[in-house]
Amino acid sequence: MSLQKKTINRYRHFFPEDTLREVSARTGIQITRIFRLFNGKNMKVAELEAFQNIIDLKLSENKNLKRVENALDEAYSILTNEELYKIANYIERKVVARSYSRYHLNSFKDAIIA
Amino acid sequence: MKGLSSLERIILECVGKGSLSFQEIQTQTGIYENICFNLIQALIIRGLLKNEGVKYKISSSLSPLVLEEINGHEAKIAESLEMIEAVIEQTSCRVFRFQKIALDPKDEKIFLAMLSNFESFLSDAHKKSQASVPLKERKIIFWGMGEVQNLMHKIVTGR
Repeated sequence: MSLQKKTINRYRHFFPEDTLREVSARTGIQITRIFRLFNGKNMKVAELEAFQNIIDLKLSENKNLKRVENALDEAYSILTNEELYKIANYIERKVVARSYSRYHLNSFKDAIIA
Repeated sequence: MKGLSSLERIILECVGKGSLSFQEIQTQTGIYENICFNLIQALIIRGLLKNEGVKYKISSSLSPLVLEEINGHEAKIAESLEMIEAVIEQTSCRVFRFQKIALDPKDEKIFLAMLSNFESFLSDAHKKSQASVPLKERKIIFWGMGEVQNLMHKIVTGR
């Protein structure tokens, strides 16, 4: 998957219900341009950065993220290769299981037509 | 990720040796429709499942390497841990006991004999009801035993 696609997917993961207008307001990119980008038009570096900044801002709200980063940093130097393999496997499994339900809507109420 | 996720395994177990339609798989597993659809598509992409008309069946031409990857020791451990974690985190109808028990050698033998009886009871119960109880209503049951000293050693050294 390209970096652009990955970034848009991550953005959509954090803000699944954003309308084009809201995405435009958050990123400062014109609404018509947002429409094109979401339909596969190639991004400029500045646009990619705008999306990345919003994602980073959202991530920084989560205190556990820093804990995970610190714990992993320490794990690299202390744990055995086998233990690191188990941790990687554990995280990968959690991510895969969640990615199947990423687009699951609990009820029709959750479905917002933008 | 190596191996299968528990969700993927449920779909494969549901299809088994037969061939089932999407509706049948969804009813038997009880997985939400869109998640079930995503899972089936992922299994088709991995070459584990194939569709014949509106029915799905397990691909018959799986290489020994793929079989080892999905049924190997490591994959089973990871899947068991996933299920055990889900059981422990259950909030309703939770049945879970975890205790450190002092067992003398004689009681340990009695306990192992009782476990053996228990295992044969479960095996009979499964044979009796497997045709009538759908996959989604089956129960996950697990047990295990270890000596505290050995387990602590494993936790400390990671081996």
